Parts: sequence; structure tokens; C-alpha cells
Amino acid sequence: MNVFDGILLGFSTATTLVNFAYCFVGVLLGTAVGVLPGLGPVATISMLLPFTFGLPIDSGLIMLAGIFYGSQYGGSTTAILMNLPGEASSVVTTLDGHQMAKQGKAGRALAAAAIGSFFAGCVGTLFIVIAAPLLASFALTFGPTEYFSLIVLGLVTSMVLTSGSLLTAFGMVLFGMLLGMVGTDVNSGAARYTFGTPHLYDGLDFVVIATGIFGLGDVLANLENEHTRNATIAKVSSLFPTREDWKRMFGPILRGTGIGVILGVLPGAGVLLASFSAYALEKKVSRHPEQFGQGAIEGVAGPESANNAAAQTCFIPMLTLGLPGTATMALMIGAMIVQGVQPGPEILQQQPALFWGLVVSMWIGNVMLLFLNLPLVGVWARLISVPYHFLFPIICAFTAIGAYSINNSMFDVYLMAFFGLLGYFFRKVGAEPAPLILALILGPMAEEFLRRALLLSHGDASVFFTSPLSLGTLIIAALLVASILLPQFRKVREEGLQEVD
Amino acid sequence: MLPFHEPANQRRQGSVNIRQDTILGSFFIIIGVTAFLMALQYPFGTTSRMGPGYFPVLISVLLSFTGLAILVRGRIRETALLEAGRLKPLAIVLVAVVIFGFFIDKLGMPLSIFALLLVAATASVKFALSWKATVGAAAFSALCGLIFVRLLGLPIPMIGTWLQAFGL
Repeated sequence: MNVFDGILLGFSTATTLVNFAYCFVGVLLGTAVGVLPGLGPVATISMLLPFTFGLPIDSGLIMLAGIFYGSQYGGSTTAILMNLPGEASSVVTTLDGHQMAKQGKAGRALAAAAIGSFFAGCVGTLFIVIAAPLLASFALTFGPTEYFSLIVLGLVTSMVLTSGSLLTAFGMVLFGMLLGMVGTDVNSGAARYTFGTPHLYDGLDFVVIATGIFGLGDVLANLENEHTRNATIAKVSSLFPTREDWKRMFGPILRGTGIGVILGVLPGAGVLLASFSAYALEKKVSRHPEQFGQGAIEGVAGPESANNAAAQTCFIPMLTLGLPGTATMALMIGAMIVQGVQPGPEILQQQPALFWGLVVSMWIGNVMLLFLNLPLVGVWARLISVPYHFLFPIICAFTAIGAYSINNSMFDVYLMAFFGLLGYFFRKVGAEPAPLILALILGPMAEEFLRRALLLSHGDASVFFTSPLSLGTLIIAALLVASILLPQFRKVREEGLQEVD
Repeated sequence: MLPFHEPANQRRQGSVNIRQDTILGSFFIIIGVTAFLMALQYPFGTTSRMGPGYFPVLISVLLSFTGLAILVRGRIRETALLEAGRLKPLAIVLVAVVIFGFFIDKLGMPLSIFALLLVAATASVKFALSWKATVGAAAFSALCGLIFVRLLGLPIPMIGTWLQAFGL
């Protein structure tokens, strides 16, 4: 099947009235929950998952993708209007976006973000169309050795790109892997870490852990600082960028898109890296670098484009290799597995309608975001201003429903509460939970690929260094670790990756 | 005279004299060592034929040493102190979620959501009984039942087993 047939098939799948409607609902819900302060994409997606459980696979995934974009976009709105980044990658948006909002230019900042995101989303989707089939056919030649090294690279990148120390992040990765081992071992059938309860034979459900740590854990942490939460929301004025704005936005959007498309494909936290690099680049090429941090529209348009382009292209390794690059993608894989779809190189051949439908719906979702969010920005602003003491019981309700609806088991609800407590604990001791979530999905894969690689090599661990691709991947991982120990890069990282909730 | 109106945020600004690293390091060590001891029960296998115990042993040993390193780091460097927490809202919210889990199949979706909302709401310092908020919570609970059970068809009971026993 060539690309054009694929796109046609995708359009015929994504534009059925039902799927179109689910895409719309997904974008709408994702934005509505994503704008709520403190709820990043991971928490949003895990809370909204139950909405997709009852649906057929293609509608479910299309809606899920809509939720994902909606939550990304909603996060930028909160970042600009309220100076509260929902996730690490919108920290950059707060720098200039909120300054613009303070100067009464909130509408223009939002428009810059929306237009940049839309353009980047279109380019990103086009890139998926071209690159994904290529990578998928290339990935069919990958053996367990290559996969294992890619997983190592993904985990190392996620460790390097989280706030806090490398050592702490390493501990979180290992802990996540241990949690991933709970349940029946696929190879031997042995029950590991089940403490004798049959509830744990199938392992810990990924969604339960993510909802607990990110959704409930966040509520618990926020209740502690209830007094210090200040909810000042900037007023939204004219949404139309001036001629001058268009001129200043044009370059940053193009450059940001370019950076985002490339970096998004990298395993690890590509989205985060993309928005930080785009900001740094804009500051460097600008003739007025002193305006950055004071409300420069370039500082909103560039990173927002990069952010969204990377959010699109990070689907590529997830769909074609089955390896999630970010915690959000790990959650998407978890959701696909719930639906009975195993992403990997074969997905293009085995379920072309699903793959192309998803890709096309990404583009449709981006169009919807543009036409939905700009006119509705007043509604979103009002949603943000709902006082937290009304909001948090509802968030709790969604997390509880989400946990229960996976297996209709009350055990999962209790487990979710436990992980909420754990998420609170991690925040207290300054440990970022994103690497744990990624390791939870990648850990069992790492074990399986390590086992197969060593079985094929008769226990000779040098295979990881004799396969060129595997060696290259491991060298990149080693360079990343080395770079973080260098004082210069270390400083940049510490400045860039401040703690965000 | 006791300061009655002392703002709560002044009370909780104090830090406990324990380092974050001490707690996290000990946590990782406890988990690591426990996981290691449990992993010893599983067949280890050989490098070319890894048993179910191979990977857990590897990871739990690494975790224990990472925990130890974090502990040492907390000793030799001035790392961040643990901030005092407020346990009351924490406990209330967790209890609310557990109540939901316990009652969901017995009272059904709307009622258990309602219970969760009411209990969780008391965790806020801004909590005040108001009929408006209660009606809002009731409406939200009904809406949840409508959307999740009727519209999306999730197999969650609308009316639980206890109420069915009364012939409802």
C-alpha cells in the first residue's frame, strides 16, 4: 500500500460521522481538562481514558489522540493566562506568554500559540506520513539487541531531561522497572512480587498507577499549598495578531517546527527538549534578545510550534517501534493495549485502517483545535477561574471512576489511592515521577529483549557492542550521561528544568 | 492568649530537620533489599537462559546501591530539607476514594460518586456547607451515571446490590 492509498483510507476512516464526532469530543474534553491548572497531559489522558473504553478500537484511538492534543493545547492556555505550566514543556511558554498577557496582549499570545501549533501540527502529521512507513520497514530488521539498546537510550534520555538529580531519576527508573515486574512472568509463568493475591497476577495496571501518581497525587500535593495558590487570570482582549505580529511570528514558527519535528522522533523527552531548544534558538537569532522574557511574541510562537511538532512526531517511534518516548506516549501505549492493539512495525500491514485513520484524525484534530479554541477561549478562561475547592473533588471522582472502569475491580481503586499517596511522597522528597512511568512500560520490554538477545548470543553480552546500530545507540546514551556531568551543560539544565507540577 | 487566627500557611512553613535525600535513599534501599530477598526465591537461570529471577535480582541490587548513594549524598552535601506536610487533607481525600471503591458495586455509580464528592470536599480549608454546592455535587453525580453508564455503556451498576435488595 502506498502513501496515497493510505491517506485515502485514513480519510475514509477518520471522516465517518461517528469518528469525526469522537475526535471533536476528544479535543473538547482534552482542552477542558487540560486547561485546569496543575493537570498536565499525563493526568488528563489517564483521567479521560474511561471515556474511550466502551468504543470500537478506531474511534477509541481517534478520540484519545484528540484528548492528547486538546490537553497539550489547554496546557499552553493555562501557561499564558495564569503563569501555571501544566507540564515541563510549557514552562517556556510562561516566560514570554505570561508577560504578554500582563501587558494586555493575552489574546495575541494565545493566537500566536494556536497558529504556531496548527502549522507545526500539519507539518508534523505530514512528516509522520512520510517517515513512519520508512521507519516501520527499517524496524522490521531490528533484532532484540537493537531494541534493548533503544530502550536504554529512551530511559537515559528521560533521566537526563527531568528536573532534579540524575541519581534520583535513575532510582525512579529502577523502581518503575520493579513495579513493571509485578505479575506473572511471560516466559516461565512464575508469579513475581504478587504477595499471594490473585489481584496482582495480571500485573499492576499502568493506567491505575498513572492516574494515582499524576492525578490524585497532584490533588494531594495541591491541597497542601491551598493557601498559596493564587488564581490571577489575565484578561483576554483582541485575538487577532497585528501585521507586525505576523511578521515576527513567521520565522520562529518555521524554525520551531523544524526543531520539533526532528527532536520529537528521539526517544526520551523529545517534546521538552524541542520547546527549550526552540526558545534558545529564537533568543540567539533575534536582533532584540533583550526583549525575551519581557513579552516577545517570538518566545511564544517558536517553542509552541516546536512543542506541537514534537508532540506529533513522537507518535512515530511509538507506532512503528512500539517504544514510547515520553510518559504521555507510554500512556497511549497502555491505552492501546487495553483496546487490544499492540503497536510495532507490523501495525502498518496488519491494521492499516487504524494507523492511517489515526494519522488523518491527528490532522483533523489540529484543524478543530484552531477553530475551537480561539473562539472558545473565554469559556476556557472561565473554567480556569473555577475555585480549586470546587474542582478537586471532581478530579478525585474522575480518577476513581477511571481506576474502577478498567477491570470493574475495587482493588484497582484502592491501588490507585495507594499510588496517589506514593505520588505525594515523591513530590515531597523532590523526585520527579515521569521516568518511573516510562520505565513501567519499558521495563518489561527491556527484560524480554535482554532475555532474547542473550539467548541468541548464547550468553555473550558483547552483542550489544558488535551490532553497529546498537553500539551507536549506546554511545549516544553514554554521551548524554557524560554531558550532564559537564559543568556547562549542567547549569543550563538546572536553569531550564525547574520543578513544575 | 492562644493565637486563634494564626494563618495556616505560617504554621506549615517550617521544615522538618530531615533531608529529602535521607528519606528517598532509605525508601529505595528498603524497596531494593526487599525486592532482592524476594527475587532470590525465583529461579535465577543463566545469562544465556535467564530465569524469572535474573532481571529482578539485577534491578533490585542496582536500586539498593542507588538508594545508598542518595543516602550518602544527603550526608555529604547540603541538600534540600523535607517540608512539613499537612496530614488531614491527605487522609480525607484518600478515605473518600476508598469509600467510593467500597460502595461502587453496593450503592451504584451516582450515589458513590456523591459520597466521594461530599467527603473529599471537606479536605479543603475553604470548605463550608452550602446547599448550592450540595445540589451541584448531586447533579454532577447524576450526570456521571448518565454519561458513563447509560451513554458510554461502561459495565458499572447504576443501582448497586444493596439497593436492589430493597427492590429498587
